[in-house]
Amino acid sequence: MIVPAARGSGRPGRTYPGLVRREWDWLLSHPVEADLLLAAVLLVATVGQSRADPLILAVSTLLVATIPLRRRYPVQAFTTALLIAALQVGLGMQPRGDYAVAALQPTVAEFVVAVLLYTLAAHTPRRTSIRGLCGCLILSAIAIARWPGSNGLHPEPAILGASALLASACLTAWVLGDSVAYRYRVAYYAALEERAARLEAERDAQARIATAAERARQLQERRALAVDESAARLRRIERDLHDGAQVRLAALALSLGEIKEDLEADNDGDGGRARMLIGAAHASAKEALAELRDLARGIHPAVLDRGLDAALSSLTESSAVPVELTVSISKRPSPAIETIAYFCAAELLANVAKHSSAAKASIVVSDDEGELVLTVGDDGVGGARPGDGGGLAGLRERVQTVDGKLRIDSPPGGPTKITIVLPGHA
Amino acid sequence: MSGSPMRVVIAEDAAIMRDGLTQTLSRRGHQVVAAVPDAEALLAAVGEHRPDVAIVDVRMPPTHTDEGLRAAKAIRRDYPGVGVLVFSQYIEARSAADLFAGAPSGVGYLLKDRVADVSDFIEALTRVARGGTVLDPEVVGQLLGASRRTDALATLTPREREVLALIAEGRSNTAIAETLFISAGVVEKHVASIFAKLGLAPSDTDNRRVIAAIMYLES
Ligand SMILES: Nc1ncnc2c1ncn2[C@@H]1O[C@H](COP(=O)(O)OP(=O)(O)O)[C@@H](O)[C@H]1O
Ligand SMILES: [Mg+2]
Repeated sequence: MIVPAARGSGRPGRTYPGLVRREWDWLLSHPVEADLLLAAVLLVATVGQSRADPLILAVSTLLVATIPLRRRYPVQAFTTALLIAALQVGLGMQPRGDYAVAALQPTVAEFVVAVLLYTLAAHTPRRTSIRGLCGCLILSAIAIARWPGSNGLHPEPAILGASALLASACLTAWVLGDSVAYRYRVAYYAALEERAARLEAERDAQARIATAAERARQLQERRALAVDESAARLRRIERDLHDGAQVRLAALALSLGEIKEDLEADNDGDGGRARMLIGAAHASAKEALAELRDLARGIHPAVLDRGLDAALSSLTESSAVPVELTVSISKRPSPAIETIAYFCAAELLANVAKHSSAAKASIVVSDDEGELVLTVGDDGVGGARPGDGGGLAGLRERVQTVDGKLRIDSPPGGPTKITIVLPGHA
Repeated sequence: MSGSPMRVVIAEDAAIMRDGLTQTLSRRGHQVVAAVPDAEALLAAVGEHRPDVAIVDVRMPPTHTDEGLRAAKAIRRDYPGVGVLVFSQYIEARSAADLFAGAPSGVGYLLKDRVADVSDFIEALTRVARGGTVLDPEVVGQLLGASRRTDALATLTPREREVLALIAEGRSNTAIAETLFISAGVVEKHVASIFAKLGLAPSDTDNRRVIAAIMYLES
C-alpha cells in the first residue's frame, strides 16, 4: 500500500523539542527543499571526508542523488542506493585496509541508505520494507566482516561497537518509517470508515426518498381512483334518479293531473274537499319534480354525457351576457375533470352575469401537454377576489382536490380573466 | 276531448311513463298505435304507422344520452308529415336550437313535468300534430335571460319581449291577447313590430313566429 506523503498531515500544534519550530515547520511543508538541504549537507560532509577526491565525490553524489527521488520512487531509490552501497562494500573495502577500487570507498554519504530505508518503511507495504531492512542488515554484516579492522588491526570491542551502530541505525530508520506508515494507515482506515458510513447514510436517505416517492405515487393513484369513482358514483346516482324517482314522480303527477281534471269536470257532487286535496297533491308533485330536477343537475349535469363542448355550449346559450366559446381539445379529459371544468365554467359565467356588468364574455378551453386549461374572461368592471365561503373560494377548493390551479386576474376597472388548469386525469 | 282523435307513437324507456301516457291518451279518444322503449323501435314504428305525432324521450338506451333527440331529427328529415314532440327531464337551449333548425313545423320541446297538466299537454301535442310548434317556457325563460345577446333583440320594448315570449311558447295572437289583457289588434301591431325589428320577411306567417323564437337560440 502506497500512501501519498500527506503534506502537513502531522497533528497540528505538535512540537519538536530541540528544534526551532518555525524552521522545522517550514521544512515539513517544503519536502523538496528539505531533501535538497539534506543532500547538500551530506555532500559537504563527503567533500571533507574524501579530501575532495573527484572520483569518490562522484560516487557519493550518485548516492546522494537518490534522496530527492525517494518520495516519488521509494522502492527504486532505495534499491539504487543499496546497490551502490553493496558495490562499495564489495569492491571499495578490503579487510587488509587497501582499496580494490579506490573510488568506491565508503563515505558519510552511506547515511543515505538509512534515510531511504526510513522512506521505504514509511511509504511502502511492510512486506517490502522488511525486505529492505533485511538487505540493509545483511549488507551491514558483510561490511563489518570486511571491515579493515577485522584482520586484527582494531580491537574486538570496536568491531562490536561498529556492528551495533550500523544495525541499530538500520533498525531505527525502519522503526521510525514504519511508525509513520502506521499513522498513515490509521488515518487511511479512519477515512475509509468515514466514507463507508457516509455511503451507508446516503444509501439510507436514498431508500427513504424512494419509499416516500413510492408512497406519494400510491396515494396519488388512490386519490385518482377515488375521484374517478366518486364522479362515476354521482353519475350513477343521477341516472338512478332520472330513471327511478323522477320518472315515477312524473307518472304520479300525470295521474294526479288526470284525477284533478276529472274532479273539476263533474262539478256537481260535494267533492270540494277531495278536489282541494288533489289540487294540493298535484301542485306539490310538480314542485317536487322541479326540485328533484335541480338536485339531479347539481349532482351531475346530464348534458356532460354528450361531452364538455356540448355541455359548455348549452351553458353559454342561456347566459345573460353573450359568450364566445372556443373549445379546442385533442383528447377528452376524464369524466371527473370534465365535471369540475363544467361547474367552474357555470359558476364563473354566473359571476360574470351577477357582478361584472360586462358587454361580452369568452370561454376558451384548450389542452396543454395533457392539462386542461379553461379561461373565462369578460370586459367588465373587474375586482374579482375570492371571499370566505364564496363561489370562487369553493372553486379553488374543488380544483385543488385534483391538484389543479385557479388564477384570478381581475384588476379594478377590468378586464377579468380567470384561468383554471386541471390535469387531464385526476 | 280536445280536437279530433290523433294517431300517436310513444318512445319512452320507462314503462310506468309509457303506460301512463298510453292510458291518458286512450281515455281521451286518441289512438296509441305503438309504445316503444328505444330509438330504433321508434324509427321502425314511425315508418310503419306514419302517425300524426310521436312523443319522444331524449335519454333512451343504449347510451342514455341523446338518442331520442337524434331520432327526432331523423323523423323530421325523413317524415315531414309526422309531428315530433320531444320531452325530457332537462331542457337544454342547445338541443332546442338543434331541433328547431331549418324551417320548424310540427315540432315541440317540452319538459317531462308538463304531463302533469294533462289538458295543456294534450293541447300542445295536438298543436304539434297539426304542424305547429311548441317550446317549453323553461327554454323561453333561459333565452329571455340571454336576450341581451343580439342587438336586434335588444331593440325590443319590454312589452314586445313579453309578446315574443308568448309567441315562442306557441300561443296564438288571440291567446296572447287574453294573457296580456290587451286587444287582438294591439297584439298584431306588436307582432308586426317584432318581426320588423328582427328583420323577418312577411312571407309564411306561421314560420315567422317560430323563427322569431329561434333567433334567441342562434344569435
Ligand atoms: N367576473 C367578475 N367581475 C367582477 N367582479 C367579480 C367577478 N367575479 C367575482 N367578482 C367579485 O368577487 C366576489 C367574489 O365572488 P364569488 O366568490 O363568486 O362570490 P359570490 O358570487 O357568491 O358573491 C364577488 O362578490 C364580486 O364582487
Ligand atoms: Mg359567485
